[in-house]
Amino acid sequence: MKKIYNDEENKFSELLKDLKDLPKIKAPDNFEYNLLTRIKNKNFGNAVKERPQFSWAKFLAPSAVVVITIILFFIFLPSSRENNNQLLQQTKLRDNQSAVNNSLSAKNELKNQQSTPSNTKLQSNSPGLLGSNDRTTKPSVRSPLYDSRSIKLDDYISGSNKNQSNTNRGNIVNNGEEPSQYDGFIVSEKPDKKTLERYRAVVDSIKKAQLKADSLKKVQK
Amino acid sequence: MSKLLTELSDEDLIKEYQDNNTPEAYDILVKRYKDPLMNFVYRFVGDRDVCADVVQDTMIKFYLNKDSYRSFAKFSTWIYTIAGNLAKNELKRRRRRIIFSISNSDDERSPQIEDKMFIAPDKAADGTIRNEIIQKALLKVKPVYREVVIFRDIQDLSYEEIAGITGLAIGTVKSRINRGRAQLQKLLKHIYRE
Repeated sequence: MKKIYNDEENKFSELLKDLKDLPKIKAPDNFEYNLLTRIKNKNFGNAVKERPQFSWAKFLAPSAVVVITIILFFIFLPSSRENNNQLLQQTKLRDNQSAVNNSLSAKNELKNQQSTPSNTKLQSNSPGLLGSNDRTTKPSVRSPLYDSRSIKLDDYISGSNKNQSNTNRGNIVNNGEEPSQYDGFIVSEKPDKKTLERYRAVVDSIKKAQLKADSLKKVQK
Repeated sequence: MSKLLTELSDEDLIKEYQDNNTPEAYDILVKRYKDPLMNFVYRFVGDRDVCADVVQDTMIKFYLNKDSYRSFAKFSTWIYTIAGNLAKNELKRRRRRIIFSISNSDDERSPQIEDKMFIAPDKAADGTIRNEIIQKALLKVKPVYREVVIFRDIQDLSYEEIAGITGLAIGTVKSRINRGRAQLQKLLKHIYRE
């Protein structure tokens, strides 16, 4: 290793000789005097860097910005917006209801399976040997537009739908025995009794007026 | 007392200054190192006025931060490190000034062309001109290489000392010296042609 560097030094021998022969620069005569004067006057110039002093203004300005951004973030948090959206809430409610219904039906099916004898269970475990008593479990999802609870209006008017009895049809038309889970987007309002009576009185007075008019016409004839 | 102090080594003097705050010890160390530091900073920066200021700042740093010196290191290593850092800062400051002033950059460019093209070999043989050419070429070498070349070939420091000053491994120091010399030789090829 040393040899390599010695060879390199030989390669640059002339340059090295010149570099060593360069005149030595000496400090000016007044160097020490100037240095002592600077020290006495505490004129340290570039030798000492001034450290930044602490000030409340420098500290408070950025911290205020940080606090304001945090407050604004919590005020305009995206989750709070979602809660206020009525339409989204309704869909969430519907989803939750269907999930509850599904879980209930699943529980019922589990109960049914437990009540069946153990032999059938074994048979059902072996593939391709399903017995007649065995049931394949399909998740029954109760959709709001369930088939038995819907009716084709055209068929209902013409009377061509013979599968459904009149009472069933009536139930369906009158919203069935149970209240429908799906209301759609139409707001259903119950009529006010007072307004009904008012309308009835108006209709009655019109009928009476018509009767009077008819009797007057007969008299004129 | 002062006779005794002059006979002390650098490390003993700094210890004396640290322990007893003896101003004579500080004066002796300033006298010992002002010229070598001037020579190093001048070769590195290339400006006499600036280098005097840099060395003064070095001595003031030494005066203010005497307690930051630890006895396991050589005093020369410590003081050269301070001077080297200040010299590098000065170079950076100068470079910034050159970038922001158009007139300065024009002044910097013209002598570069002159160095390479217009100095005849017979003129180059003259000692003072030759030294000037070498100094100008030295300033064109990358600062990382220039620093170690000056330490080794002008200041006659050992590889270990240079490694201590620069904080580099000895192998890195050697390779940098080699690269610096190669760059310098390339820049001075019109002098060293065979």
